[in-house]
Amino acid sequence: MGICWCKEKHEESESYFPQSNNDNIDNAIQSITSTVPSEYYLEGAEKGCPDSATVDKLVLETLGIIGTLVDNEQEPPPSMLRLHNIADNEEGWIQVVKSMVNVIPMTDPLGPSVITLLLDDCPLPSRESVLKVATMFNLSAQSAFAGRVNAPMQRNICVVLGCIAEKLAGPSSLGILSESTLDYLIINLKPDTDPHVILFSLIALEKFAQTSENKATIIRRLQNELYCPVSKLEAWINEEHFVKRQVGFCAQWALDNLFTMENRKFSYLTVNNAHINAMLNTGDVSEYLKISPDGLEARCDAYSFESVRCTAQADSGVWYYEVLIITPGVMQIGWATKDSNFLNHEGYGIGDDKYSLAYDGCRKLVWYNAKSEPQPLPRWQPGDILGCLLDIDSQQIIFSVNGHNLPPCTYVFAMAKSGFFAAASFMSFQQCRFNFGAEPFKYPPALIYSKFNDHGSLGPENRKVMPRHIYLDQLRQQSVREDSCTLCYDKKASVRLIPCEHAGFCTSCVGQLSECPMCRSSIHVVIDENT
Amino acid sequence: MAALPRRIIKETQRLLQEPVPGISAVPDDSNARYFHVIVTGPEDSPFEGGLFKLELFLPEDYPMSAPKVRFITKIYHPNIDRLGRICLDILKDKWSPALQIRTVLLSIQALLSAPNPDDPLANDVAELWKVNEAEAIRNAKEWTRRYAMDN
Repeated sequence: MGICWCKEKHEESESYFPQSNNDNIDNAIQSITSTVPSEYYLEGAEKGCPDSATVDKLVLETLGIIGTLVDNEQEPPPSMLRLHNIADNEEGWIQVVKSMVNVIPMTDPLGPSVITLLLDDCPLPSRESVLKVATMFNLSAQSAFAGRVNAPMQRNICVVLGCIAEKLAGPSSLGILSESTLDYLIINLKPDTDPHVILFSLIALEKFAQTSENKATIIRRLQNELYCPVSKLEAWINEEHFVKRQVGFCAQWALDNLFTMENRKFSYLTVNNAHINAMLNTGDVSEYLKISPDGLEARCDAYSFESVRCTAQADSGVWYYEVLIITPGVMQIGWATKDSNFLNHEGYGIGDDKYSLAYDGCRKLVWYNAKSEPQPLPRWQPGDILGCLLDIDSQQIIFSVNGHNLPPCTYVFAMAKSGFFAAASFMSFQQCRFNFGAEPFKYPPALIYSKFNDHGSLGPENRKVMPRHIYLDQLRQQSVREDSCTLCYDKKASVRLIPCEHAGFCTSCVGQLSECPMCRSSIHVVIDENT
Repeated sequence: MAALPRRIIKETQRLLQEPVPGISAVPDDSNARYFHVIVTGPEDSPFEGGLFKLELFLPEDYPMSAPKVRFITKIYHPNIDRLGRICLDILKDKWSPALQIRTVLLSIQALLSAPNPDDPLANDVAELWKVNEAEAIRNAKEWTRRYAMDN
């Protein structure tokens, strides 16, 4: 399960952040905070802002606790609630940003995700607070060079910039991407900068480019450099250094999707996919996941919990695939049927319903139906190989990390006995590479098994991983027939509703309704005019 | 590539060709289900002169379920909370698949003209709106000036 609070659950209760009405929160807070003075987790809007040491401490506490949270129905940790309250006024929001930038260490695999999470759940900053933050960091070409002595801080600044750019896409984002901010980010792309800083500078540029004027500015700027710095970084795509490799992946994605250069061919046109018969399915993925041109590597840079299934299906026998872990954070990788839903905005993914089962080697948990079971393995690291074995005949799934097997899992088979796909969900800034058997396995299981690459088949169109803008352009050129259903515009309008006599819908839309979409009177009879 | 329903393609084409006065809704470059929306504050309301940014997302089963809409610009309004969530019946139980992005945004614009403190989301704002409307309107104007105007 991804981590995501405010969106759904508070929507249902239709209330603000818990302030008075919720006894169980108070109890939860009491139980966690019995050892600290109660005013530390003061509820309600903050008047003024606590000192920076207190906020620093709250940020670190949130970071420490977040990897242990496994239930979205649970209240956010008190330290996080307090940070939300502090961030409710301008001074407080700026202090929270400052503390995150100063104290989040490079070594914590969840650091950048926590920055994103906290900023996403905090009330939105005003334009002035954002500009004040930009001034406070004093970003420029000089500060990029001077900042090299403190790479963690520069990385955190870039994560914050990316979040702000995404949240305030539009006129405010234009204001923040001043010439000196752009200088700062572009200088950071120099190959001798710390690769973490390069990575998050690139991601920040990507988020700024969500505003089209910014995108044009960034492209102009990249073209004016003697060698386009992003093109240079694209060469890192096969680096052994796992952070550099992420830079290469993001650079290639940016050049294909955002910063398109005239003399560069799109990678989906140059990649050789001839030997690949099974890949991640570009038609069966939540909307923000980035998929490599060969269809085997995926990455999420959005704050939602992005998911994907593979193209090939397993119905009987024993199947195996491997995943190269590139980032050490939260991913839930395993098996899912088509009944498993991708609720990326609510934080639900593979292993969070009855039709999927997954392992998350960051929190060391096996997930089924949004419940988790701890596993006695070390936290996974970049370079680790996750093995996913599906034995449909004896109804078990066995995960392994670098050849060490976890105990077999059986839950999912109560709901499904066939129709399984390799599937995975990604928290922000996570990346991994799938091997469905086109390459030799590192830790092949000892029993007889099948590989998707031997059994799958892909038509020439299906093996193309097209950049979204090209795909969407093709879609928008489609025309819609005049006599189509006024709800889906997909099928022919053919039915009339009784008693209200409204018409203009197709049978499959009406089949999902109990009352007329026009007048809300209940539908007693549906007359199909075609028959 | 996740197939985009024709309904969304059709609505997007129409929004771009015949925009609604006072409302701009532009699909995201990389996600055709996500719209960047700007609503101008209606005349003769405390929000007049403001430009309010919203995000609108069409969920998987749209139009069978309602779009998710949220104010991004801070706004002082009894039916909009501090995270920008909107209390509006057609976004909840009164949704009908015959409604569209266009009609939803018009309803939101209408909500700015006619706040409804008896069906509140932002409790303290609604409270003030009921007991001291003049002060609430002053606050709303002040927030509009601070957060929804360019300078």
